[in-house]
Amino acid sequence: MDRCRPALLLALLLSCGLAQGAGAPDPLGSPMWDYLRERFLGDDRYRFDDRVRVELPPFAEDPTQVPVTIDATALKVPVERILIWADLNPIQHIATLYPLSDRVAPALSLRIKVQQATVVRAAVLAADGTWYLGGRHIDAAGGGCTAPSQAAADPYWESHLGEMQGRLFPPHSPDVSQRARFRVVHPMDTGLVDGIPEFYIERARLEDEHSHALMRLELSPPVSENPMLSFDTRGVRELRLWLRDNNGNEFATGVAAGGE
Amino acid sequence: MNRIGRIPGFAATALVVAMAASGGSQAAVTDEDIINDQATTTDVVSNGMGLRGQRYSPLTKVNAETVQELRPVWAFSFGGEKQRGQESQPMVKDGVMYVTASYSRVFAIDVATGDELWEYNARLPDGIMPCCDVINRGVALYDDLVLFGTLDAKLVALNKDTGKVVWKKTVEDYKAGYSITAAPIVVNGKVITGVSGGEFGVVGKVEAYDAKTGDILWSRPTVEGHMGYVWKDGEKAEAGISGGQPGQTWPGDMWKSGGAATWLGGTYDPDTNLLFFGTGNPAPWNSHMRPGDNLFSSSRLAINPDNGEIVWHFQTTPHDGWDFDGVNELISFDYQDGGNTVKAAATADRNGFFYVLNRENGDFIRGFPFVDKITWAKGLDDKGRPILIEEGRPGNPADVAEGSKGESVFSAPSFLGGKNWMPMAYSQDTGLFYVPSNEWAMDIWNESVSYKKGAAYLGAGFTIKPLNEEYIGVLRAIDPKTGEEVWRYQNYAPLWGGVLTTAGGLVFMGNPEGYLMAFDAKSGEMKYKFNTGSGIVGSPITWEQDGEQYVSVVSGWGGAVPLWGGEVAKRVKHLNQGGTVWTFKLPQSAEVASR
Repeated sequence: MDRCRPALLLALLLSCGLAQGAGAPDPLGSPMWDYLRERFLGDDRYRFDDRVRVELPPFAEDPTQVPVTIDATALKVPVERILIWADLNPIQHIATLYPLSDRVAPALSLRIKVQQATVVRAAVLAADGTWYLGGRHIDAAGGGCTAPSQAAADPYWESHLGEMQGRLFPPHSPDVSQRARFRVVHPMDTGLVDGIPEFYIERARLEDEHSHALMRLELSPPVSENPMLSFDTRGVRELRLWLRDNNGNEFATGVAAGGE
Repeated sequence: MNRIGRIPGFAATALVVAMAASGGSQAAVTDEDIINDQATTTDVVSNGMGLRGQRYSPLTKVNAETVQELRPVWAFSFGGEKQRGQESQPMVKDGVMYVTASYSRVFAIDVATGDELWEYNARLPDGIMPCCDVINRGVALYDDLVLFGTLDAKLVALNKDTGKVVWKKTVEDYKAGYSITAAPIVVNGKVITGVSGGEFGVVGKVEAYDAKTGDILWSRPTVEGHMGYVWKDGEKAEAGISGGQPGQTWPGDMWKSGGAATWLGGTYDPDTNLLFFGTGNPAPWNSHMRPGDNLFSSSRLAINPDNGEIVWHFQTTPHDGWDFDGVNELISFDYQDGGNTVKAAATADRNGFFYVLNRENGDFIRGFPFVDKITWAKGLDDKGRPILIEEGRPGNPADVAEGSKGESVFSAPSFLGGKNWMPMAYSQDTGLFYVPSNEWAMDIWNESVSYKKGAAYLGAGFTIKPLNEEYIGVLRAIDPKTGEEVWRYQNYAPLWGGVLTTAGGLVFMGNPEGYLMAFDAKSGEMKYKFNTGSGIVGSPITWEQDGEQYVSVVSGWGGAVPLWGGEVAKRVKHLNQGGTVWTFKLPQSAEVASR
């Protein structure tokens, strides 16, 4: 490349130094990349890596309920934290995951709101201090974050707030992890609709049968109404998910292997 | 090397500790701060500007001479589309104001700039049932917590620095008609709250929670026949039936949905270690369905803050038939009588009478009308019990041959009362009470009704009407020793905001027309007024910061008057809504000139 000519040795050193840290351009070409990188990753080291899987449909049929799967298992490194965000949402942050045990995969499936066509990213902080980034683009008609929740039109949630269902899907074979899916009744209001204050689950904790935490999560209002959260675990007989919303309401439910 | 290396380490640690401690300007609110609130002028950490509720400040920089120079320094909008009645009294601690707004919102504001620090918006279900607008009357402060009650009858503790929920407790079921609009009070680490809902046949109660954890400590029902409870180490134990047993002052099962809601909260007197909570109307409004005194409705209760025991009670309107809630604040004060100090307490009731009680035992000292017209009672007997005028009670629908509507009567005061929730003030300098009152009457009639959970439980129809063309509202200066009205200020619209008095010889009050006004405490002469842009139904406060005296009031028209307006409506229907905190102080030049 031109810039590697000896005459520009100094420039080469500088630019290579930057490329290691903060210089790599966004392969998805998002206009918000520089701003959000600074906000979420600061000056930390990062690299784009296809082993961080972000699964999305190509088009958001329902922009208030877009299924997303994040999976950093293929990195095969210890994961400290996973950040999930959507570049062009008015509230970018969706969730932060803190895996606390090797009995839970560094992965999450959930449904999110998207306000317009956007890049959805997962940034995985490995134990060595490097962020590994995956992302996908989704097309959308828009409005997912500023449309009133169904709860705003239907008082059903008032008498069912925090009702939870959990289900454990048994593994196909002993080597494969088992999947646990939880669903909770909650409006997850973004605060962006006139006259409806933000009201969302902001903390979650997944525990085993001995109340040992497997994963801690911080959630933001772009997680869809009536959140559905799926985890992949291994060697855990019972699971319990605890939730707390920004109004101080707490909810929990458990699931056990061999039952539903 | 090792040693030398360690010494700076220690020094740094010590420095960090020192810095954390010197964050003392951001110190937590203690029991002592709250008990001494009236005397400490640099903060406002209790509803009533002191737990006795006198709303009297010893500050003098703003006085009859300087008040003309009072200027707004900032105005803070609550924003949103939720501009309804703003009945809050702000609190101030360490340069931060904590103020509530309609729809169970809380704001923290930097006093120096008027900038918002945080806000908390409770997400309310659509099914909330506030009878009289979606108002809130303010927070309590304790430790690093901001405590308040919500329209869905929850008690919420927020972190004072972040506005995040620390704990939240369900006080009662909003679907049964309960809500909370009053400011809680904190006494010796306990946060104490009442409940609203008297129009829905709820059962009133007073409850205490551990302010730091939210753990419930005791619960005291305010209707005869209901069991009280205390909690010790999380264990719930019976603490005696209120009034001893059911059926003494209520017929049949009527006590089970007897009302007596404690919707205005209470005051506390450290001298006697008593809480004073008022109780609302008995349910339903139709008194013919519940012959008897209907204890403890329309009463003042003295409650032991340690266990919730009712120490004494004084019922202002036995067998109420006019919606004369007895919730109005009971303000403790001392006065001299023949060389003796009388430990008294005073209240201006919805029913039109002003009462002076012995606050140690609830004995009646004296009482007198404070409004111009009372149709339901001739006066008070020597125990303070009203001497009824029988034809002043709406007729029994059972006496009417056809239809279910009893005979209608013209009655004064109206159901909104000679004085409603808006707190009066007591000046330690003039010895006068400054009472925001209203001159209005009603036509009222009774109907049959039966109790259904969550439905209005009135059994009455009514319409409200002014008694005078020129005014409804009257701010009165009343001598509690003689009953004399020393001066009055008449206001066209009904008064619905609280009063503040100061050692500077001033009385502050807002009116629905939007003016914050200051009067000479001795003469009643209006010394100052400023239009805040919307009706004032909140309570003003004053405090000192960086050597300057501030005054704040919340502006935002609403409350019960526009909802139940009747003929009064035409005096208020042009008033526009709002939701703004106005903060005032003297310009430096004016203050210097006055020295």
